Amino acid sequence: MKRTLHAAGSVLMAGGLLATAACGGSSGKASGGKTTVTLMTWESNATNQLIDKALAGFHDPDITVKRIDTPNGNYGDKLASLTQAKKLPDLFWCGNDTELQYTGQGLLTDWSGKLSGSGGFTADSFSPTAIKNWKTADGKIGGVPSLLNTYGIWYDSDAFKAAGVPVPAAGWTWDDMYAAADKLHKKGAKYGLVADALTNLDAPFSLSLYSQSAGGAPFADSVNQPTKVTADATFTEGVGKLVAGIKSGAVAPPGYDASNAQSLFAAGQVPMLWSGQWLAAGFLTDKPKIKYGFAPLPQVDKAATLYDAVGICTPSYTKNADATYKVLSYLDSTVWTKVLPDSPVAVPAYTGAQDAYFNALGKAGLTTVASTVKADLDAPLTSGVRFTTQWASQSNDQITAYWPDILKGNKPLSDLQTMTGKINDVIKSNN
Amino acid sequence: MTATPDQQLHRPPHPPPHPPPRRPRRGRGKLTSDTRAAYMFMTPALVGFTVFVVYPLIRSAYFSLTQYNGLTTPTFVGLDNFRRMFTTDPSFWPSVRATLLLVVLYVPLSLVIGLLLAVFCNRRIRGVRMVRTLIYLPVVLPVVATITLWKFVFNPQVGLANQVLSWLHLPTSEWLSGSSSAIPSIVIVMLWSVGSTMIIFLAALQAVPTELYDAARIDGAGPRTVFFRITLPLISPIMVLQVVLQLVTALQTFNQPKILSPDGQGGPGFSTRVLMLSIYNHGFPTLGRVAEFGYASAQVWVLFLVIVVVIAATARFSSIWTYSDHAS
Repeated sequence: MKRTLHAAGSVLMAGGLLATAACGGSSGKASGGKTTVTLMTWESNATNQLIDKALAGFHDPDITVKRIDTPNGNYGDKLASLTQAKKLPDLFWCGNDTELQYTGQGLLTDWSGKLSGSGGFTADSFSPTAIKNWKTADGKIGGVPSLLNTYGIWYDSDAFKAAGVPVPAAGWTWDDMYAAADKLHKKGAKYGLVADALTNLDAPFSLSLYSQSAGGAPFADSVNQPTKVTADATFTEGVGKLVAGIKSGAVAPPGYDASNAQSLFAAGQVPMLWSGQWLAAGFLTDKPKIKYGFAPLPQVDKAATLYDAVGICTPSYTKNADATYKVLSYLDSTVWTKVLPDSPVAVPAYTGAQDAYFNALGKAGLTTVASTVKADLDAPLTSGVRFTTQWASQSNDQITAYWPDILKGNKPLSDLQTMTGKINDVIKSNN
Repeated sequence: MTATPDQQLHRPPHPPPHPPPRRPRRGRGKLTSDTRAAYMFMTPALVGFTVFVVYPLIRSAYFSLTQYNGLTTPTFVGLDNFRRMFTTDPSFWPSVRATLLLVVLYVPLSLVIGLLLAVFCNRRIRGVRMVRTLIYLPVVLPVVATITLWKFVFNPQVGLANQVLSWLHLPTSEWLSGSSSAIPSIVIVMLWSVGSTMIIFLAALQAVPTELYDAARIDGAGPRTVFFRITLPLISPIMVLQVVLQLVTALQTFNQPKILSPDGQGGPGFSTRVLMLSIYNHGFPTLGRVAEFGYASAQVWVLFLVIVVVIAATARFSSIWTYSDHAS
């Protein structure tokens, strides 16, 4: 019996090892004596092919780069299982929240030493806000920001013309936006404005722009190390205007299925869409028949925008940190200059590669996209898009419990105070 | 002192029952070849059961008392996870509500529709085999594919369901995007696979002796009397089995709300965040969210206890309405 159990245990262990070995793995010596640096992205097949092509230009006699093919659809699940199995590749695409959470738990290689050194690839050569948001409280940086997401309003120029409304431009106000949405709705659009960012879990952070722009308090004092959230009078005023917009049918309500909003916009069925610059790459490929533009987010007094950087992380157990850093710096600088001309998804955080993005937009005639992205990068007031903390899901549940009902008018605006109070309890209990 | 009935009738008291025959004693530790063979054949199943059921069960019981994200060492927190679940987590009670609503809608509907379809398919009419095949077909199709198709059907802006309603000049629905219509929409999708229920009922119906029907007809019983006085009582044990199966299916529903909810998290709001999805959301978070295995394990145990209680209650009360040949 003992022997049988032993054999069964061996089989199970072997099976487990085989299963985990198939998932990825960090750098090691390949058969030819070269160090293999593994890489995993969440990009589409088309962008991955461009990355592969660009990586072919990386020449180092001691390093081989191998990209692990993974469907972008289940990237989060794949990352979670590789993290649990401690089989993360040397370099993997990561969000700001993942980077901060994993760095806080000692799971990522801290590059702060290398980034503070000399040379062309240091912290000074990145967009300052991106680097600031990627640092943990104790100054560690478990990854390097790669692309910056900027946000704005996509608009259908013809729909605006038909409704007799001027197209959005820098400096337009929240009142202008709701008034335009109302006119577009009355002109026949199901909703004048589809803004998932104002109704989903991240919505209080988006509405934070209203209060910040009007001189009020931000919703959260920080997304990385928050001590409190606030819904002051200006914030409440902003939410009130949104509630009125939803009530009149000008703005899509909570629960609106925004999964195909991009297609509906391209088909001329959504005249105004709150989203990010990344839609431009898809529009260049799909070529919508409508005339479209991209305007900065509205303001009250001062320009305010959302800020969010994605990046590339490295697990703490990478076998050859130096080789990995070499590939990382090549990816973040040179690769983007080769990929973005064909697929201008976002502006690089590494300032030296930003021209490639803006040149690509200019070449494609996307002048409004270029000017809005530039305006966003220069905006004096910014807000993170969501909490990046480990307890973010607990505060999300509090937002889910109150926000949709407040927007639908099922709960009074005064419940914003109850919501913030409960989120503050979550913050307190986790600090 | 009053006399017992036996004394009153001058009968001798009942003799004591015969003691049970004693088993011949075997030598301790000695196994017959048959027993050894039995253990050998059982071993793979026992190993599998221990490794994949007993061990995870014990681990999850332990994790339910800890704060554990799967990456760092678990921290023992006692009953904090259960306290959070019942007091401060705003999603727990809505999850319970969504689960119960799904159970209340799905279980009776699946039983009634399954039975009606089985009765129809039990008739000797032309083309009935084709009908049976068509009803059973969704059961063999890939679940995720069919659910995804339903997502397109229920899209409130461009979906087929609202298009059809518009053509018929009927009011459209928000379907999965509406807080009150989301669970009923999910139930419709689940009922799409009612063929599995139908097939079991069909087998039960075909096992009812035809002589009983013949006798009933000779006695002048109508179809309704035959159904309620003969068919239903005779298939009632299968009905109990179906109730239990459908209850477990409904309580463990995961695929439909996961795929169909607009945000994949059980929205809008918490309207489709059934308990299984809540467990998944906490245990296997999306990008950028750290796992809460401890809290998810606590929820697993609550769901487990709910299932045990519901099934025990069903089994306990089923004897009231189940027909049995052995009933005295």
